[in-house]
Amino acid sequence: MPPPNTPEEGVTAPGTRPASPTLPRPSSPHLSSVIAYASRADSAVLELDYQAIEYIGHVDETLLCPVCRTPFHSPITTPCGHTFCAGCINRALEMQPSCPIDRQPINKTRDYHRLPLIVKDQLDRLKVKCPNNGCDHECLREHLEGHYERRCQFTLVRCPDTNCTKRVARRDSLPENGCMHRDICCQYCNEVMMVAELDAHYDHGCTGAVAVCSECDATVVRHRLEKHKSNDCPEAEARCKWQSAGCRVAKKRRIVREHERDGCLFEAIGRLLDERSEDRKIIDDLTGRLTTLEMRNRRREVRRERRNETAARPTNGSVSLDIVDLGLSEDGTLFAGSATDNGAWASPEDYMLAQFERMETQMDDLRKKMMEMDAHQSLNLLQHTARANEQLAELASKVGVLNMHTTWLMNMQRQNYAQQRSGSVAGPPNNGMPATSDDGAARAASENAVRRQEGNRRNSDGRGENPPRL
Amino acid sequence: MSAQFATKRLGKELQKIRNSRLPPGIELVSAENLEEWLLDIQVLDDNPLYQNQTYRLKFRFGSTYPIEPPEVVFVKLSDRPIPMHPHIYSNGIICLDLLGQQGWSPVQNVESVCMSLQSMLTGNSKNERPPGDDDFVRANQLRPKDIEFYYHDNTV
Repeated sequence: MPPPNTPEEGVTAPGTRPASPTLPRPSSPHLSSVIAYASRADSAVLELDYQAIEYIGHVDETLLCPVCRTPFHSPITTPCGHTFCAGCINRALEMQPSCPIDRQPINKTRDYHRLPLIVKDQLDRLKVKCPNNGCDHECLREHLEGHYERRCQFTLVRCPDTNCTKRVARRDSLPENGCMHRDICCQYCNEVMMVAELDAHYDHGCTGAVAVCSECDATVVRHRLEKHKSNDCPEAEARCKWQSAGCRVAKKRRIVREHERDGCLFEAIGRLLDERSEDRKIIDDLTGRLTTLEMRNRRREVRRERRNETAARPTNGSVSLDIVDLGLSEDGTLFAGSATDNGAWASPEDYMLAQFERMETQMDDLRKKMMEMDAHQSLNLLQHTARANEQLAELASKVGVLNMHTTWLMNMQRQNYAQQRSGSVAGPPNNGMPATSDDGAARAASENAVRRQEGNRRNSDGRGENPPRL
Repeated sequence: MSAQFATKRLGKELQKIRNSRLPPGIELVSAENLEEWLLDIQVLDDNPLYQNQTYRLKFRFGSTYPIEPPEVVFVKLSDRPIPMHPHIYSNGIICLDLLGQQGWSPVQNVESVCMSLQSMLTGNSKNERPPGDDDFVRANQLRPKDIEFYYHDNTV
């Protein structure tokens, strides 16, 4: 190791000692698990970039990661007590396997510490701005991820056109809009651009069809005049942005703006109300998720109960018994009866749900049994027909053998007949006598003729070429 | 990804420098982009070697900053000499372990590097160039980060 040539360690980094061993020891498991969950659950959204977030107000030096100089994101603490963002320390360790601050060796896989929650809370309570372009939402950092992933209308999501790989702001990602990346021609200035850019183009770039605002002489695209008057025009009538909190100021916008800048009396109330509504939104969101989870849980429990029930019943219970059972419990008294059976059903819906589940499992049982029977039957059929098939095959082969016999006999007869005929023409038949060479040749010739004839016939029959042999 | 990481970190540093000034004797001359910055440094104590002189430093940041060190050299101008030091070559190349892969740490920043150089000058009393300066300056074609320095001297 090369000796440090000049400055002492302490001299080198006097300006950068944000993480001293006693200071932040934030905890990572929570944040990192949240992030992992988020990236798994909604991959349609790009992961929130914590280094790009703008923080409101002063952030304590001690909460800044010494590597990226932004407030810790899923922080971890090294054995030597220094804290870094997980991403930063991992990146640094790829270069050098030691702590960036005091250079103590670090084993990446097991040396990280679990940390107290207090710093996590500190980080969670930092106020941040939504990093999305166009969104001016402000909230606590712990709520930012939910806002970004589920609510912010400016978050980039997948284009509604499945063939398009680009991303589009959530508020524009409506199926009826189609792909926002196809080209469109501005109707005022004929400039060609993507649909997604049209809105910004009207506000800033469009040169065609301008109109002059009657209040402030500004030039805007004609169909934006209304929007200009209601949102931007400094001369138009406007109301204080805290009017929902009770402020009654309604004057020209620039005066109202001054009033807002100077500090509207209702601002504190307004901010409180905003925070409350934000909290309400979060609560609603959480309540909704809780309800669905509870529902799912209850259904699962009901299913488990049902399964236990069927398991407890004697296994030889046949299908018909099951049906009878079902039929009985379906008649008029069943609601009361079942309610006493199973203790408490919270509501008729729950009961119906349970009943439905029950019937579903029964249906499944029936279906399974049907399949079984089907299989059984086809097996039976196969067994029975197999015997008949065997016999049939045997018969067929016997017929074949008989057929061959007949053919052979017929051939014999035909040969004999031919011999007799040639014998009567060429000379006396030589029964059992050794044939002369003349005789032999003659007979062979006649035999050949017969064979040829026969061969022709067989070919036309589609059978074998050779005469039968036994 | 990595390049973004570098620009974000440099953006933060720049923001911090603009909000809460640099330490005495260090001045940001230009930081027009996030690749190359120029800074002036002065030695503030009464070391006679560096009295009343200002030196120009050039920082070049790669896309891997701050994981890897920036490239830092002195630049020679008519009113900005190269400081005399046994670890600073006359072409402005600095031999300092802090600026090498081994000595660098990602918690360092522009400000801390400048302060290190300030203290490196302050602590020096030898009015000389490194051994073999002429040969090195004549022959060297390498970028500072590609030079393998041999840290032979731990006294200065």
